Amino acid sequence: MAVTLPEGDLQTRLARYLDGLNNRHGIEDSSVDGNIVLVWVRPEDVPAVLATARETLGILHLSFITVVDRQGSFELTYEMLDLRGGQVRVKTVVEGEEPVIQTVTDIYPTANWHEREAYDMFGIAFRGHPDLRRLYMWQDHFDHHPLLKSFEISTKRTFEGLR
Amino acid sequence: MLGEQRRAEHEGALTEPASGRLASPDIRDEFGLETIDMNMGPQHPAMHGLLRLILELDGETVVRCDPVMGYLHRSKEKISENRMYPAVIPITDRIDYMNNIAMEYGYCLAVEKLLDVEIPPRADAIRALMNEFGRIMSHIPSVGFLLLELGAFTPILYAFRERERIQSIFEAVTGARMMFHYIRIGGVKADLPEGMTETMWEYIEGLEKRLQPDFVDLIGGNEIFISRTRGIGKMSQEKAVEMGLTGVPLRCTGVEFDVRKHYPYGWYKNLDFDVITDEAGDVEASYRVRMGEVRQSIRMIKQILENLPEGEVLGDLGRRLRPNEGDGIARIESARGEYAVHVVSDGSDTPYRVHYRTPCTVNMQLLQEIVPGHYLPDIMPIMGLIDPVSGSWDK
Repeated sequence: MAVTLPEGDLQTRLARYLDGLNNRHGIEDSSVDGNIVLVWVRPEDVPAVLATARETLGILHLSFITVVDRQGSFELTYEMLDLRGGQVRVKTVVEGEEPVIQTVTDIYPTANWHEREAYDMFGIAFRGHPDLRRLYMWQDHFDHHPLLKSFEISTKRTFEGLR
Repeated sequence: MLGEQRRAEHEGALTEPASGRLASPDIRDEFGLETIDMNMGPQHPAMHGLLRLILELDGETVVRCDPVMGYLHRSKEKISENRMYPAVIPITDRIDYMNNIAMEYGYCLAVEKLLDVEIPPRADAIRALMNEFGRIMSHIPSVGFLLLELGAFTPILYAFRERERIQSIFEAVTGARMMFHYIRIGGVKADLPEGMTETMWEYIEGLEKRLQPDFVDLIGGNEIFISRTRGIGKMSQEKAVEMGLTGVPLRCTGVEFDVRKHYPYGWYKNLDFDVITDEAGDVEASYRVRMGEVRQSIRMIKQILENLPEGEVLGDLGRRLRPNEGDGIARIESARGEYAVHVVSDGSDTPYRVHYRTPCTVNMQLLQEIVPGHYLPDIMPIMGLIDPVSGSWDK
């Protein structure tokens, strides 16, 4: 049972990834920079785009999911590698104070703990996640999501006097 | 070998699915058998730090394994948001405290992508050199820990003898034995001291001689080691890729993926090395891959020392860095797998958001998947296969 990894020239593959994603979905914005294909999608399209990436284009590895709190909206980055030099980066913006987005654990099972971490740190609810518990913080009696910008820390410092 | 025969007798028990080894529901009802829940850790000497496993046991067979993390969570990502860019480097040191230099390297690469600066070639070469020393310093003790958890005390002493010697090299170069703060944004802190290349060369040649008798002949052919590790933690390539594994756990199943080779960074573009893989995908294979990687690291260190470029080691970027708005993402191959850093800048002097993709967090998902069906004492070798570090999975 061997895994088949993509072969061939990197530039041809990147063009194929971009075409494959553009043809199947309404992509908001897309670009190729070096070995990275960057696409912006609407939050409800994320599972479909990732499913195309894995099933049709053969990009097997989900590297990480980053959440950035933009104070009012959340920016999510899904970074995928084809393990042979190509990268696909899917970005989306979720609006609202208590955001909800569809899970991708059924497409990339490794997303399980990435999504648990995002829920723990930012309070993002992943609809359909099989096991949405906190990953690092206490399970009970802790109502905060520490990486939100609204979560103040006591030792907040400014560097005004420095040059 | 006798060990292999014994293993073969138990082979059936290992290949049959987890449910096959459990008592059937009829027998369970007749004798009133039930599974018991047990906590393993967080204070457990073989848990590589602070990890709690909630286990459901049927006799001695594990039915369910649920890792609970967060006992060493220090919220490195929040701390990083509250410091200026150069001041985050010492924080990254404490993520993976067995292989610190790689953690600094990944963060500095990410910030350099934001700043779009050129690194002096000598600094690039020294970074790769120290990174490979760091890999040896992490791989050899990890084999020692695996054996220690199986009950063999000698290999950890041999392993720490090597680690001590490398730590002395690091002490001479960086000034610290563990938390180096050596790699800086734009280069490295200081040039190698006088006579250091000769010392390194001498050490590397000595290690090459000692590796075969101390770590390969002594461990690899040992009957007890083979019978405890062969076929344990066995996984297919599909499973490994599906779970997002990287590093040694992925390569020991035969998938050829190494960030240094396939997403090259820094000085690794100029180096000639092989990606070590193994077909078996069990604990013994991971041990073989680690030993192979130590040999490749020795090969790379020799290449770097032969062609070490001359010149500056640290460019002048000013004290207060203000990168342009945007994303800086860099990934490197740490001793445990793919380590990626995502730095988001808003144009000010502190990062807006820093995300560390630590290899241990992702690789540890494997525990849920492959531990069920194994016997309780097999958890230790499986932890040795993943080789996690507490600071790295908890951030």
